[in-house]
Amino acid sequence: MRTAWPGLLLTLLLTLAPDAPGHADTGFGIGGGQALPDIRLELGDGSNALLSELAGQQPLLLTFFYRRCTGVCTPFLSLLHDATARVGGAGSDYHILALSFDEADTLQDLRSQAAALGLADTAGWSFATTTPAQLRLITGALGFEARPAAQPGQFDHAALLAAVRQGQLIDRMTMAAGRSDLRRLHALVRELRGEFIPVLPRPGRMALGCFRFDARTGLILPDWGLLLLAAPALGSLGALALLFVRSGPPR
Amino acid sequence: MRTIDTQTALWMAVTFILFPVLALLGITMRTVQAGGLEAMAGWFYPLMTLHGVGMVGVWYVAAMGCAASVLARHVAPSPLIGRIALAGTVIGVLMLLACVLLGRFAAGWYFLYPLPLHGEWPLWSAVLFLASLTVLGATWLVWSLDLLRAIAARFTLAQALGWHYLRGQTEPVLPPSLLIVTVSLIAGIAALVSAVIVIVLFALELLTGTSSDALLMKNLTFFFGHTLVNLSMYLGVALAYEILPDYAGRPWKTNPVVVVSWNTVLAIVLLAYLHHLYMDFAQPGGLQYLGQVASYASALPAAIVTIFGALLLVYRATMRWNLASILLFAGLAGWAIGGIGAVIDSTISANTRLHNTLWVPAHFHTYMLAGLVFLIAGYFAHLARPAATADASPRRDRTIALLLVGGAYGFFAMFYLAGAWSIPRRFAAYPAELAHGATTAGIAAAFATLFLAGFLYYALDTVRQWRTATRTD
Ligand code: HEM
Ligand SMILES: [Cu+2]
Repeated sequence: MRTAWPGLLLTLLLTLAPDAPGHADTGFGIGGGQALPDIRLELGDGSNALLSELAGQQPLLLTFFYRRCTGVCTPFLSLLHDATARVGGAGSDYHILALSFDEADTLQDLRSQAAALGLADTAGWSFATTTPAQLRLITGALGFEARPAAQPGQFDHAALLAAVRQGQLIDRMTMAAGRSDLRRLHALVRELRGEFIPVLPRPGRMALGCFRFDARTGLILPDWGLLLLAAPALGSLGALALLFVRSGPPR
Repeated sequence: MRTIDTQTALWMAVTFILFPVLALLGITMRTVQAGGLEAMAGWFYPLMTLHGVGMVGVWYVAAMGCAASVLARHVAPSPLIGRIALAGTVIGVLMLLACVLLGRFAAGWYFLYPLPLHGEWPLWSAVLFLASLTVLGATWLVWSLDLLRAIAARFTLAQALGWHYLRGQTEPVLPPSLLIVTVSLIAGIAALVSAVIVIVLFALELLTGTSSDALLMKNLTFFFGHTLVNLSMYLGVALAYEILPDYAGRPWKTNPVVVVSWNTVLAIVLLAYLHHLYMDFAQPGGLQYLGQVASYASALPAAIVTIFGALLLVYRATMRWNLASILLFAGLAGWAIGGIGAVIDSTISANTRLHNTLWVPAHFHTYMLAGLVFLIAGYFAHLARPAATADASPRRDRTIALLLVGGAYGFFAMFYLAGAWSIPRRFAAYPAELAHGATTAGIAAAFATLFLAGFLYYALDTVRQWRTATRTD
């Protein structure tokens, strides 16, 4: 299938290029989802690869980081490491790419970040950098933003995780510093692994739910809202009690 | 003794005015589906919503009005609450008309969350719709409570549910109609409480932006919608128990079998709605199986006992057939036939095929139109036609019955046929692949017009007979 890429890219080049934003002269992906630009990566071991080549046929989990981050990056990567270890399948069912968004990051930085997480030789994980122009393409496509922060060398940014299958974005989540939404993270990894996820938490405030999906175990558990379903019957029983008891002994 | 009291006459007037209009909307929909009336195509979904909510509401209040009039023969419902029920219903219907005709509200008769808040219609029309439901729901809740209060004034709960018959006692005598009305009212209160919860959750979202769990809302909405329609049907069946004996010349009494079957209904009916969620994969499997079991258990015992009871009542009796008895009997038959279609559809393996095809409107129109509508029309005919009227005309009765029955079943047949061919429901215009859907729609429109002609003939004749009778009284 690898050999099909050039042809596919050519087709996409011809169909997408005129109205693609910026310098997106390449993109990959087929079907209805949002196609991502096929950027060129430099991997921690010094080799080069296209995004489309990195994972081959496998789906891809894509996240951004930078080595000197004193905020969310390392905790998030380790949460992701933990989630993929629990769900399983990294390297066989999907691939994970941590892409640096700091121009200052060197190949040595990539390697030390991987080592710090205990991921130096872990199958399925890649750490990479790319050129600023290519970076703008992919962050633009995924809606990822990083602004220089007050402290020198630091960026204000949220953690983002994108699930990509056949070059298409199928799901994405962001996690602000200090708020870890593990449920969602697990669900996303399971979903990418090909599991059917019937329930996904909706962002925003919600009154009462009737079932809760535990993304860690994949179980559907009863939730408090279920009690509301008993309310009509209880209301009716209450009315009966009032009407028939209060009316006293019938003649 | 059989003249109509004012309140029942008013409910009859409401029915005779609103039903033909709503039926005309139905014929319009079928015509649009057949490719005619292009100018109305943009109105399909608002009309469908008005037709669905309107029909369900009209026949629920008609059934309640008739139940109240039957109850009045045995116990004493409050006349004041009766008037409030009428006023609240009229106000609610006017609000409903406004939100659909002015706001083009079109979320379908069960307004599934969150669609009402996200349609092409203005938000005020959704708010007006919910407000109209609030008025109707509150009115009907008060009405149901009053009717139960009237029953409670004369019977204990155990007596009203006929439990003393199980111990071999027959005193106090409990007419089967009273047993069925009691069961229906209890279920009805639960349904209306569920509607209140749905409306509160909608209001919460409108006022505070707190969204609701779509699955919970769907459960609550069908708890309300399914149960309300289901018990309207039972109230109609109670009329047959009450009136058919007059024509058979024999009593139709409560006995342990009747008591067991209707108490089974009470125990199970609140779970039957689960069959509306078969396609909701997020609903746990256990509840789906429960839905199938509850659908069977709430439908079969009562239906079988009633149908056999009715056949035994008529068997070798010197049956007096006139429009009232024909319609009551046809109504029970329509209930049974539509019920078979419903039981098929509530079977999970069949539902995977039939879900959201025209099979669904096929079966519910059968037991609503040829069941409930016939039963209530029979009851009105009975009230309006005193036994010895000089005006009786078997030929006219037969003509009316033929138009009603023939028109209705021709109309249903097209729904069933299209459903078996997998034509989806709720399509305003059928694409080329579904051209046979348009053909059946055209034939259905013709049959429905016959039916409507029959109904208008029936309504005019009934009013005329009633006026003759009151004048000669
Ligand atoms: C002459 C009489 C009637 C005609 C011609 C008629 C026609 C129709 C048509 C064409 C539809 C839309 C079907 C579709 O999904 O494509 C419909 C839906 C419906 N009808 Fe009727 N109908 C009649 C009587 C009744 C009665 C007596 C009731 C209830 C008591 C009723 C309740 C409903 C409901 C609840 C819907 C579903 C609306 C929705 O999907 O939201 N109809 N009818
Ligand atoms: Cu960071």
